[in-house]
Amino acid sequence: MTVVNLSDELGDASRARLATLADVLIPGGSGLPSASDADVAGQWINRTLAANPDLADAVAHVLAVEGAPGEVLERLRIERTDVFDAFAFAVSGAYFMNPAVRQALGYPGIAPRRMPAADGEAEYYLEDDILAPVIGRGPVYRQA
Amino acid sequence: MVALEQGTWVDPGSLPGNKPEYELLGSKNWHPSPNVRGRREDYPVDTTEADLPVWLYNGVGGSSVLYGGIWARALPSDFRARTLDGVADDWPISYDELLPYYQAVEREMSVSGLAGNPAYPPGFEPPMPAAPIHRTGRTMAEGMNKLGWHWWPGTNSIPTQNRTHEGKCVRYGICRMGCPEGAKSSTDVTHWRDAVALGAEVITRARVARVTVDERGRANGAVYLRDGVEHFQAASVVLMAAGGIGTPRLLLMSASERFPDGLANSSGLVGKRLMLHPYAASVGVYDDDLENWLGPAGEHIGSMQFYETDSSRGFVRGAKWALLPIAGPLEAAEKWTDRGSLAGEALWGDGSADRMKSFVRMLQWHIVPEDLPEETNAVSLHPTLTDSDGLPAAKVRYRVSENTNKIIDFNLARSLEAHEAAGALRTWVAGRNFMTGHNTGTAKMGDDPATSVVDRFGRAHDVPNLYIIDASVFTTSTGVNPTATICALAKRTATHIASNARNQEVGS
Ligand SMILES: Cc1cc2nc3c(=O)[nH]c(=O)nc-3n(C[C@H](O)[C@H](O)[C@H](O)COP(=O)(O)OP(=O)(O)OC[C@H]3O[C@@H](n4cnc5c(N)ncnc54)[C@H](O)[C@@H]3O)c2cc1C
Ligand code: SF4
Repeated sequence: MTVVNLSDELGDASRARLATLADVLIPGGSGLPSASDADVAGQWINRTLAANPDLADAVAHVLAVEGAPGEVLERLRIERTDVFDAFAFAVSGAYFMNPAVRQALGYPGIAPRRMPAADGEAEYYLEDDILAPVIGRGPVYRQA
Repeated sequence: MVALEQGTWVDPGSLPGNKPEYELLGSKNWHPSPNVRGRREDYPVDTTEADLPVWLYNGVGGSSVLYGGIWARALPSDFRARTLDGVADDWPISYDELLPYYQAVEREMSVSGLAGNPAYPPGFEPPMPAAPIHRTGRTMAEGMNKLGWHWWPGTNSIPTQNRTHEGKCVRYGICRMGCPEGAKSSTDVTHWRDAVALGAEVITRARVARVTVDERGRANGAVYLRDGVEHFQAASVVLMAAGGIGTPRLLLMSASERFPDGLANSSGLVGKRLMLHPYAASVGVYDDDLENWLGPAGEHIGSMQFYETDSSRGFVRGAKWALLPIAGPLEAAEKWTDRGSLAGEALWGDGSADRMKSFVRMLQWHIVPEDLPEETNAVSLHPTLTDSDGLPAAKVRYRVSENTNKIIDFNLARSLEAHEAAGALRTWVAGRNFMTGHNTGTAKMGDDPATSVVDRFGRAHDVPNLYIIDASVFTTSTGVNPTATICALAKRTATHIASNARNQEVGS
């Protein structure tokens, strides 16, 4: 298999399997969608593998293992930590890229964005003489 | 002035930080490990016999392209480890000798921070005002005050005001993936563009294979490979700035009949005494959204409470703490998933949604320990592995010492207390033996040619017109982030060369 093109080659069946496996890791709740509801196995895994093609091996490896999704992942977690970690990284990377997930987690925008400091912001966070005790204790370095 | 650089210029527009894939791109093409990036210019670094991988960046600006911009002068006691604590060696220079050079480079690097830090002797006055310490810093500061512990608003080589060519920091918070704004003071931005405008030539994609010497043993140029073709650049004086791994590698590759053990290596110390500052991290989960993703990253606050030696603790030397933002959800997830994490629960499965929702309510302390020099921690030439030009890769042997582990244990325990005092609902150790990119010590500075590679001005004892101006010259690693000291030493060497130009021996 051409590893780099895994996302092109993922057929419907593989994507359905990937969604089920991903849901074991990320079942959702508390206002967050599950991995499958967040379309992890669709466009987001494609973008993930395009951004880091090294992860394709682990995704392919996990998809090739047959069995109940929970058991497959639990076995890999114990026996193939490298594969499990890379798979979890890929799936969660895909999940966190979904703007709805990012927003629900409390991150701004679809990616980090410009947020210049406002005038007076530095002083604001130092109000109430919060540095006074540090200054009052005096030097903490050794003379040499 | 001709600079030979194996990498290329960085186009800020190509950097990942403001793209939705940023953390994934940061895990591959912009990863700080050359082995993960695997670009043509990334010479492999074999770390199979090391406790941690090595981080560095190969391109114009070097590792400052990916550094966090935490700007920390070394302390007076750092230059006197032998005298004060009976370990390692004293530097041949003192804090006071370096002071004017720290001050000069702080202007050039647009360092921002608050004057009056009681962790330093008087006279540390960053030229730009400090960035906001933000909710993160404020929350932790209140905890530190309860404990009566030192903290100070972050000092970073990240401008808080616009400067001649670049704008100020706009707080993307992803400085360690390169600054898409071109705001962070990496040396491609702060120095190289101006140097080129003033007539310096930078030849990129030029991998130096060896520095050559004339019949009198003076450096007279460098052989480099570009697109597989060998070139020679003649030079009257050679300055080496290939970094704590690259410089010993290049000196060793420059072995010749006259210098069979490598250039400038009569002491046998080239490549030895590698120090890496293996850092540790602790986290706390708090009640409120702390907007912990906001830049600069850079430190929001720092602490030197446990920096100086206190013999009652059972170890010598200490650590600097930095409260850093968490760049995004994948970095937050690592606080559970890292193999060294003591979270005590998996991130995945039932309850994962609640754990993920705590990502923005987390604070992290990074703890950088001083790492003392040992000759068994060393960079050598790999016997078989090569880079894309067929030159030997670097081999790194490195074990974390008992003293370093004790520093880490003690400081991690204190940092958990700090989280608790600051109101954390849960705290844990998120991992240890992380990479800092602080690769120091492999071409030791000292007065005695028998026990050091370069003299107090960075000049190789064995080669009168070869100077080393990077992290490899550190006599000890100090317990702080090294870039302030690298820059100050380089400035001092440059000033020395300029003021002694008349007497400078040159190659022929
Ligand atoms: C992710 C990360 C975060 C960091 N954060 C901080 C921080 O917050 N504060 C701090 O003080 N420090 C930090 N550091 C460390 C800091 O970046 C480095 O210590 C510093 O940049 C090292 O400078 P140097 O000149 O020694 O080497 P480098 O900056 O590594 O430069 C070496 C240069 O030499 C080139 N080179 C090497 N060999 C050859 C050759 N044979 N031919 C041609 N070119 C060659 C390389 O391509 C490279 O450009 C960080 C590092 C990393 C990786
Ligand atoms: S936080 Fe500031 S310095 Fe860091 S990447 Fe963003 S703009 Fe650049």
